[in-house]
Amino acid sequence: MAIANEIRRLRFEAGEMTQAALAERIGMTRQTVIAIEQGKYAPSLEAAFKIADAFGVTITDVFRWTKD
Amino acid sequence: MSFREKSAWIALTSYGLVFGAYFILLAWSWDERYGLGLSIGLMVAAVVALIAIAAALTILAAITSPKEANAPADEREQLIDLKAERLSSYALSTCVVLLIGALLIGWNGLLVANLLLASMVIAELVKALAQIIAYRRGA
Repeated sequence: MAIANEIRRLRFEAGEMTQAALAERIGMTRQTVIAIEQGKYAPSLEAAFKIADAFGVTITDVFRWTKD
Repeated sequence: MSFREKSAWIALTSYGLVFGAYFILLAWSWDERYGLGLSIGLMVAAVVALIAIAAALTILAAITSPKEANAPADEREQLIDLKAERLSSYALSTCVVLLIGALLIGWNGLLVANLLLASMVIAELVKALAQIIAYRRGA
């Protein structure tokens, strides 16, 4: 997967926000949040913006593209 | 396990059990003279059993995770569904083409009709299996 993310760290910094809480805020299932966090699923642009918005950061603070 | 993965397991189990029993019973009691009546009778019983089993298991799954059961599929679940549908349509198309060939070389119409039904069941099983694999992988 060429898209890495900082969701785990951001959840920790947001007072150990649970995956379920994040899922609820962005309108997805907990399983999808787990898949995104583990880099198994690359979310749509809309979902990526929603995740960034949930943490109050920009999209590039959450996701970064790595050449590999 | 998500509600939609449970639904895929329910589809796999109910289709496998009901139509597995249907085709085994049909093969055991096959008689050219009563083939049509036998097929229709067994099919009605199979459809009723399928609806009953799938409904009961789905209600049970919904009771254990009511929030997810009422929520629409998210983008990853929709993608998994689409990929599974595509594999399922390949399976169905392949079976249909083979059965057209079987009809052209003179296979019995009732037999081909039952094999068409088997093709639809195979397509459903492929779909459910593809969904389960995708959910298990987390992709």
